[in-house]
Amino acid sequence: MSTTAIIEIQGLTKIFKNSGEPAVNNISLTINRNEIFGLLGPNGAGKTTTISMLCGLFPPTSGTIMINGENFHQYLTGIKQMIGVVPQDIALYPTLTARENLDFFGRMYGLKGKMLKERIELWLQKLGLADAGNRRISAFSGGMKRRVNLIAGVLHQPEILFLDEPTVGVDVQTRNVIIENLKAVNAAGTTIIYTSHHMEEAEDLCTTVSIIDYGKILTRGTPQQLIANNPGCTNLETVFLNLTKRKLRD
Amino acid sequence: MISKLLAVVKKETLLLLRDRVGLSILFIMPMILILVMTLIQDAAFKTLNEKGVPIVFVNDDKDSLGILIEQGLRNNELCAFNDSIDGHPATAEQVKLSVADGKFLVGIIIPKGATAAIRKNVTQLVNETLNVDSTVTVNALASDSVEITILIDPATKKSFLTSITSTLHEFISEVKTKIMFQTFADQIAEVIPDRSKAPKNAFQKTQVIRYKEIYASKAGNTIIPNAVQHNVPAWAIFAMFFISIPLSGSILKEKNEGSVFRLNTMPSSYLLLMNGKIIVYVIVCMIQFLLMLSVGLYILPLLGLPTLVLGNSFLGILLLTLATAFAATGYGVMVGTLAATEHQAAIMGSLSILLLSALGGIWVPTYIMPELMRNISAFSPLNWALEGFYKLFLRGANTYAILADMVKLLLFFVGTIAVSSFVNRKKRNV
Repeated sequence: MSTTAIIEIQGLTKIFKNSGEPAVNNISLTINRNEIFGLLGPNGAGKTTTISMLCGLFPPTSGTIMINGENFHQYLTGIKQMIGVVPQDIALYPTLTARENLDFFGRMYGLKGKMLKERIELWLQKLGLADAGNRRISAFSGGMKRRVNLIAGVLHQPEILFLDEPTVGVDVQTRNVIIENLKAVNAAGTTIIYTSHHMEEAEDLCTTVSIIDYGKILTRGTPQQLIANNPGCTNLETVFLNLTKRKLRD
Repeated sequence: MISKLLAVVKKETLLLLRDRVGLSILFIMPMILILVMTLIQDAAFKTLNEKGVPIVFVNDDKDSLGILIEQGLRNNELCAFNDSIDGHPATAEQVKLSVADGKFLVGIIIPKGATAAIRKNVTQLVNETLNVDSTVTVNALASDSVEITILIDPATKKSFLTSITSTLHEFISEVKTKIMFQTFADQIAEVIPDRSKAPKNAFQKTQVIRYKEIYASKAGNTIIPNAVQHNVPAWAIFAMFFISIPLSGSILKEKNEGSVFRLNTMPSSYLLLMNGKIIVYVIVCMIQFLLMLSVGLYILPLLGLPTLVLGNSFLGILLLTLATAFAATGYGVMVGTLAATEHQAAIMGSLSILLLSALGGIWVPTYIMPELMRNISAFSPLNWALEGFYKLFLRGANTYAILADMVKLLLFFVGTIAVSSFVNRKKRNV
């Protein structure tokens, strides 16, 4: 394990029980500490399956995941403490207020007392939700829910933050606030693993990008390296289309 | 760990308090159920007890037997006596039709000459015994026997009619015996030389055996079984198990709303999350039971029903309620884990609880079930709980007597949680 690697994946494969085809096929990856790593790919490429295995939602069929030098499945509880997850779908309790949701999820990460309260208030302030904090999530707009969804994943200051399309369905203002805050989280020392269909956003945010399709990693590098390595491509979107082709996937 | 558990408990409590429909299912529905079921059952018995069984009577005899039976029926609290139909004196034919139509539960027809036949038989018997007239034979006696017709409404429950008709049989036999003894005494008096030595009050002297019915109870006080004593524990248990619907619903709602996805990525376990739910719902069950007992103690008496008698062991009640609450909550967790959708859980939960409650003797007592069903009912956790409460409330038993019931309920809880844990692991291992 290299000194800068925080996640090291070897031969990661996932074949779901009701499917003969591998959703993730023999992936090997190294993600360095403090990177913003973008995992990009069309629908059904294997992004969410990879992230889910890295979050411990289900075990791989084969392969190993090392996080911070520890075997993921041997030190699951300890490793879960150092990761944060912002899922693609809103994962909050609609009948609880934003503060109640954050208080609960914060406590589940072991936060409590004054520290928890201060962090909740800080993040609500940062994401423009301080005044709405006592309203129920069910009364929030889509953008507000996305912001609370993000806070619930970063409240405990994780070493690694997994984001599965965190800006899907939000307006430009909300996207901007989310991206700016993610950059700030990364600057504070959190490694970010991020999936998105927004190539422009990925190009702006990510320090390293991997493009995945049919469960296999097609390429890896900085956005600038990928553009340079693919003749005729002027941005990440053209690189993406060049590698994954234009065929519809679902 | 404790801090996390408390966080889950707080979250569950808030979710529950904000689910008004769920709360009404948990608290208001069972209270209404107890009130309605107890009032209906009590009213059914009360109507018959207070107004009596509607009986139509035809006295074609017009002599001692008919008159005495009529007097007896008129004075009997069990009977609502009628000797006319639609304002006209009842006839044998009308009685048959109106009982068949369900206007009366029972019709009694005393045939013409019934008293005369009894007297004749007795007279002949005395004469034969004392050798006054040796021409009388047993066959002659048989041909003159009295036949009282008792017509029964075919739509009435057999078990109920059996008790009514056996009471009538007993009463009519008593009247017949009285007439026979009186006739016998009169006949003896005529044939013996010293009439002053003739038996007096012969009938009363036949009453050498009396029956005293007491409900056996270990309690110091005498607990009278009634609709309240049966319905309050029965429906309280039913309500406690009914929490499997909101509980399983809450488990599946978390899945559908995505919270479980986030929780599964956190340093917490399935058992920790379920334990938080179990604590909240066990408390809910305890409150439910307390409310149900309060209904039996304070509200039902206001409606003219008997007050619930709790027996002697408050510790027993507390422990058995706790064991029942754990069993009910464990069942809810299992349903919530086995089902894939809220809809599925609602159907699975409600139907299985209805089935288990029917088997468990909540709707009808197990002792009137066929042997096969009785054997099956022994596997219903609702039956274990009900039997335990019967022991406490009706038999005045102590905590030791319900130990087996409590152990069974707690083992059921452990079993359901083990199954849930196993199924959850299987489901996550996609």
